[in-house]
Amino acid sequence: MQTLEEVLERYEAVIGLEVHTELTTLETKMFCGCKLEFGAEPNTHTCPVCLGLPGALPVPNKAAIESIVLAGLATNCDIEKHSMFYRKNYMYPDMAKNFQTTQGPVAFCMRGHLDLEVGGAAAKERHGLAGAKAGDAFENVTVTEEGYRAHVGITRIHMEEDAGKMVHVGGEEGRIAGATHSLVDYNRAGTPLIELVTEPDLRTPEEARLFMQKLRQIYLTLGISDCSMEEGSLRCDGNVSLRRRGSTELGTKTELKNINSFKSLHDGLLYEIRRQAQVLDEGGIIYQETRHWDPSAKRTIVMRVKETADDYRLFPEPDLAPYDLSDEFISRVRAKLPELPDDKAARFQEEFGLSAYDAQHLVEHRSTASFFEACMADADKKLAKPVANLIINDVTAWLNANADASLEDSALTPARAVQLVGLVDAGAISSKQGKEVFAAVLEEDADPKAIVEERGMEQVSDTGAIEAVVDAVLAENPDKVEQYKGGKMGLIGFFVGQCMKQMQGKGNPQLINQLLEEKLS
Amino acid sequence: MAALGTPFGQMSVAQLQAGLAAKEFSCHEVAAATLDVIEEADAPLHAFLEVTRDAALAAADALDARVDADAFAQAGALAGVPVGYKDNMNLVGTHTTCASNMLESYVSPYTATCVAKTLQAGAVPVGKLNMDEFAFGSSTETSAFGPTLNPWDATRVPGGSSGGSAAAVAAGLVPVALGSDTGGSIRQPASFCGVVGVKPTYGMVSRYGVVAFGSSLDQVGPFARTVEDAALALNAICGHDPLDCTSQPCSVDFTANLSEGVKGMKVGIIPAFMEAEGLSAEVKAKVEEAAAKLEAAGAELREVELPNAKAAISAYYVLGPCEAFSNLARFDSVRYGYSDPGHKDLGSQYEASRAKGFGLEARRRIMLGSYLLSAGVYEQYYYPAQQVRTLITEDYMKAFDQVDCLLAPAAPRTAFKFGEMAEPAEMYLSDMFTISINIAGNGGMSMPVGLGAESGLPVGVQLMGPAFKDENMLRVAAELERIYGPAPVAPGFKAGE
Repeated sequence: MQTLEEVLERYEAVIGLEVHTELTTLETKMFCGCKLEFGAEPNTHTCPVCLGLPGALPVPNKAAIESIVLAGLATNCDIEKHSMFYRKNYMYPDMAKNFQTTQGPVAFCMRGHLDLEVGGAAAKERHGLAGAKAGDAFENVTVTEEGYRAHVGITRIHMEEDAGKMVHVGGEEGRIAGATHSLVDYNRAGTPLIELVTEPDLRTPEEARLFMQKLRQIYLTLGISDCSMEEGSLRCDGNVSLRRRGSTELGTKTELKNINSFKSLHDGLLYEIRRQAQVLDEGGIIYQETRHWDPSAKRTIVMRVKETADDYRLFPEPDLAPYDLSDEFISRVRAKLPELPDDKAARFQEEFGLSAYDAQHLVEHRSTASFFEACMADADKKLAKPVANLIINDVTAWLNANADASLEDSALTPARAVQLVGLVDAGAISSKQGKEVFAAVLEEDADPKAIVEERGMEQVSDTGAIEAVVDAVLAENPDKVEQYKGGKMGLIGFFVGQCMKQMQGKGNPQLINQLLEEKLS
Repeated sequence: MAALGTPFGQMSVAQLQAGLAAKEFSCHEVAAATLDVIEEADAPLHAFLEVTRDAALAAADALDARVDADAFAQAGALAGVPVGYKDNMNLVGTHTTCASNMLESYVSPYTATCVAKTLQAGAVPVGKLNMDEFAFGSSTETSAFGPTLNPWDATRVPGGSSGGSAAAVAAGLVPVALGSDTGGSIRQPASFCGVVGVKPTYGMVSRYGVVAFGSSLDQVGPFARTVEDAALALNAICGHDPLDCTSQPCSVDFTANLSEGVKGMKVGIIPAFMEAEGLSAEVKAKVEEAAAKLEAAGAELREVELPNAKAAISAYYVLGPCEAFSNLARFDSVRYGYSDPGHKDLGSQYEASRAKGFGLEARRRIMLGSYLLSAGVYEQYYYPAQQVRTLITEDYMKAFDQVDCLLAPAAPRTAFKFGEMAEPAEMYLSDMFTISINIAGNGGMSMPVGLGAESGLPVGVQLMGPAFKDENMLRVAAELERIYGPAPVAPGFKAGE
């Protein structure tokens, strides 16, 4: 198979996402009073309603409606005042009523968008940006200093209920194939679920990953879900198709299901793009099918071929009255919106003079954003950029390399971070030494100043002491001084080197330079 | 011919409660006598599918222990009154079969709100009543457990789908029974059996715990032999239920205006209904007679038009099956209900269990609904049906701008013979005068006005009121009761007759 770069040279990948999020922070289920609890004893949180017993009726959870409106407002959606629930009819044992209560053509939230800041190596994956200047704009993309900004449309966010959980017994790894029987746990049945559907605006696996990360941060900030991909409270399906560069017709798409991490989303889409390209290059046909990403085998496997569109016989749910959300309700929900990652990034730019890219990076995780804020609470504003750099580069690299580590539990406190950045900024240590101190802080759980002292790293910035050395070096080399004054300016490096040598490398290079230049002029 | 009922069963609620309050007899005695008679006498009638002896005696004994004579008035509107429930209503610990093989062994783990409300009002639950399977039918002939007979004539149907409820009350087995009405399932059997049957405005009575047929059409209501008894039962069951978000608050005392008479009330006649093809001469004559008597009693008669009501049956046979298809999907043999044994895969178990568990009419409605909701068909039927629904609702709103109550036939004719309606479409027409009110959501009731001149069988007239003003039609019904006298207990018949 060809590399992504080679494929995207000739094909455009068209990616759309469907994101299911359980509103795990609510107390009760969508249409009954059963408690929401992950991991409880099977079938202990059930009642006639979520078991679909004859005669039971749904009563909507008002808090869930507030949550979805929050999600819609936070993703720039229009809030539809008039919408209703529908019944999606299909038979499967995990759906006790054999219909899912969901929404119809009009969802609570319609026509939203999120903007993604893409930079670094990932920015090069987007085709056709080579040679463009910051500010150039085409399609859904605006070129930035660090890469580009992608505008991703959100078709809708609708409210629905989750199904129960099937456990297949006797087969391999709990798969249905080869199973002798299946069990159903209805604890999850009726969990409030919001489904966000994007426009097919994404073009690279990295954009898809960034979108999911950003969405997760928004939902976490709103507090509407614990967004655990592992426990299934945040689930994502990716649709991807290829088309020849220049073509406007959509190709046949495949749907990636059961994606349980951002990495799987990225890797699964990457594989799927490369696989489809190979099939197309060999003159083959892409079948509309559901595929499963197997992270250990690093490939996608067919789950189900969709020959015809499913007919879900959707019709308005007669047991639930249509919604008529008031302006007052919507503004009450709007007033509850916390500061969202984008707002925070804008504030970081405004307040601390950070670039859009840096600011976006900081707010990508709540922990890094709040760490930055904690650092800047007492620090000089001129340290904002170096503090941001420390977080974006050193801290992120360290976190990536140590999967189990968390910033909150690490030895790097905001005060230590500021102290470290301050030492570099004041010239007490070099930036190279700074990296060494950063590693030592985490390892030894000590203050940067203590480490610098202990290791004797501190630069000599005492003007008197440096002046003495400078005078001595100049006195020892009268011939070089003559040559310098005669125009051989390059000799400045020699004098600096000599001074540093006498000071065992601890002299502040800027001060040495400055004094040398004064004395030689 | 001998009456089937007990002396207690033939009493009105007021008579029973007077006797109970005066300690002429105890709640236990009433319950025990009622249960004994039902167990003996119901065999030929087959109004009951289950007699809930334990629950009844427990409730009666609890009442006896709780109330002394002075406090009896506070014991509840239905204190000590034996009540039967259509078998689509859940009562914890009893079978709720919907008269279907699918649910033959299903035992309710919870109680429907309407049932619970009668129990809170002191009712003594004596049993579950026969019906058309899942309420699909107008004769109880589709009951998987055999039909109920009409207590006026054993060769004739009691109507349906709440045929067991109507027959039990008409035969004097119980003074009050609950039924449900989706297209006429309370009013038509009430008419056929000569009892009062009320379908309240949609939303007046909680549907929670009543096995759904057409969720947007279903409404629970009482059967009784007097208007006052029906009103007392309504007082007990109406009101908002937090478990049914389509239910509405209700603070009306439905007995309050029963003695006020009809002087000054405007009563509407719908000419198109009176000229409808299929309306029998004897029923038409009874409606005209009732109209004339109401006019003589001081009501003002007016003709009103319901221009779109003629499309009601068509809309109903789209909306009803669509909702039924979806509501009955849960009966899949997996968690409860009939499960055909020996299948290796889910699909064949679904198919066989549903094919064998459901009767013919249930399967017909499910397949109809499944077709009507399918892609490409939905737009042609479901949308227009909803539009028709809006038009009919507006028709009724306009009509009730002009009148306080409408008077019409309840059913086109008196009770027909078993097997007489062989064609489904013919059977569907027996609800031609009742369906439009379900489509609009308003309340309607059937009020007995004596026997038909030709058939000698009971005839009911239908009264309909503005939405959530069901007291209007009850007030007119009370006047008719004063004119025609209280509904007689059916003459009854012996086994084998």
